[in-house]
Amino acid sequence: MKKWIGCGVLALMAVACRAPLRPTLQNPAPTSASVEDLAAAIASDAKRSDRESDSKIRGDLAADASRDAQACIAREPQTAACLYGRAVALGLEARAHPTRAGELLNNMLGSLASADAADPNYDQAGPARVRALVLIRAPGWPLGPGDAEAGLVAARRAATLQPQYPPNLLALAEALAKTGDANGARENYQRARDLAQALPASSDRDDWLREAEQALKQK
Amino acid sequence: MAAVATLVFCAPGYPGGAGDAQPFLDKFASATVATVGWPAGSLAAVYDPTEQGGLQKLGSSEAVLAFVPYAFFVQHAAQLHLTPLAQADMVGIGPQERWTLVAKAGTVTGPPSMAGYTILSVAGYAPEFVRHAALAAWALPPDVKIESTGQILSALRRVATGEQVVALLDQTQAAALPTLPFAAQLKAVVQSPPLPVAIVAVVDSRLSAARARALQAALLKMGHAAGNADTLAPLHLQGFVLPQLPRPSTTP
Repeated sequence: MKKWIGCGVLALMAVACRAPLRPTLQNPAPTSASVEDLAAAIASDAKRSDRESDSKIRGDLAADASRDAQACIAREPQTAACLYGRAVALGLEARAHPTRAGELLNNMLGSLASADAADPNYDQAGPARVRALVLIRAPGWPLGPGDAEAGLVAARRAATLQPQYPPNLLALAEALAKTGDANGARENYQRARDLAQALPASSDRDDWLREAEQALKQK
Repeated sequence: MAAVATLVFCAPGYPGGAGDAQPFLDKFASATVATVGWPAGSLAAVYDPTEQGGLQKLGSSEAVLAFVPYAFFVQHAAQLHLTPLAQADMVGIGPQERWTLVAKAGTVTGPPSMAGYTILSVAGYAPEFVRHAALAAWALPPDVKIESTGQILSALRRVATGEQVVALLDQTQAAALPTLPFAAQLKAVVQSPPLPVAIVAVVDSRLSAARARALQAALLKMGHAAGNADTLAPLHLQGFVLPQLPRPSTTP
């Protein structure tokens, strides 16, 4: 009774990318879709999966995202958008299939490293931010790739690359909290909240504000 | 068994959240009542990853059964009036495991040399278990501190850098030690006797003796029924055996 529940994974996709929700399931992007369309479709699946409680639907969304990621990689294998999309799709697969989560999350980290090498600023430093969240939230050694200290390094990198993007500060705050720096965590949750408050109204902004405020209430 | 009884899973220090676990727990509860012959839906299962949350749930009158690591059992069995029914047989581990105390090579040579040290462990929330089960053969100096950590990799890094800390590892963690890049700086200094991994127990006699016997028989059968493999595998279970609890050690 240890590893098991330990396989439970990650609600990390909300901060992975910004994209409108895809309206229906089982509706992968058409074969003629561009890399941008495929990346947007994966991001939409990720966002929807993050809000979905039905494991069957999460599985379908993961399968959709995986198909789109494969199509994207087949088209432009070295592009940050496709490498990042593949990483996000692997994260959805890990959540849908927890018994394979260890292997999937390791592959996800590999894809994120490739995406980071291709374009570290893609999706507002998305590769470093998502890497941080995987390392912070995944089961730790030896059950999974989780490593809070390495997660903190990645979160600092994301916050350095794109310091005005609230999710990067939320990730940094979470990493600091996980590694025992409560003051640093509070400071970054406050910064994330202030940055989000200065943005135009949107559902993403609401999500970031909610996350920051909930964390600050608990501190 | 008309009312819904609750089986509370609690594994402090191990990763995972209740939401992700719930579908597997529901399946386990359904398979259990089917095997024992109770009405469908008469057993619910919930998970709590924290010691306090688990204690709170187990304190509720609906909590009839507990499924907890042995460390939790040792720490709280008396307080919660837990009566063991079965012992989990884990995939890759079995029904028992040894715990290993790991120190920086050359620093800890015996219990007296641990004066002033802190023991970090996923089982650190259960000092009774650490002192009197896992390290029963070692009379720890009174000033040794015991702390809980879910970050065992960080703990081992602290051990390797020479801080006055040691790590108490479960069998899975100890087996993976050689995979660490700094493994050469670590040394396993003492190992526990074989101890149960996890226990299913009746809470505060909330299940009648007859029903408890029926449930125990069903649990012992579960690992042998082919149809249950899909239910047990996500929980890394291969079945259950009768409880084989070690005799309590004498307090030093």
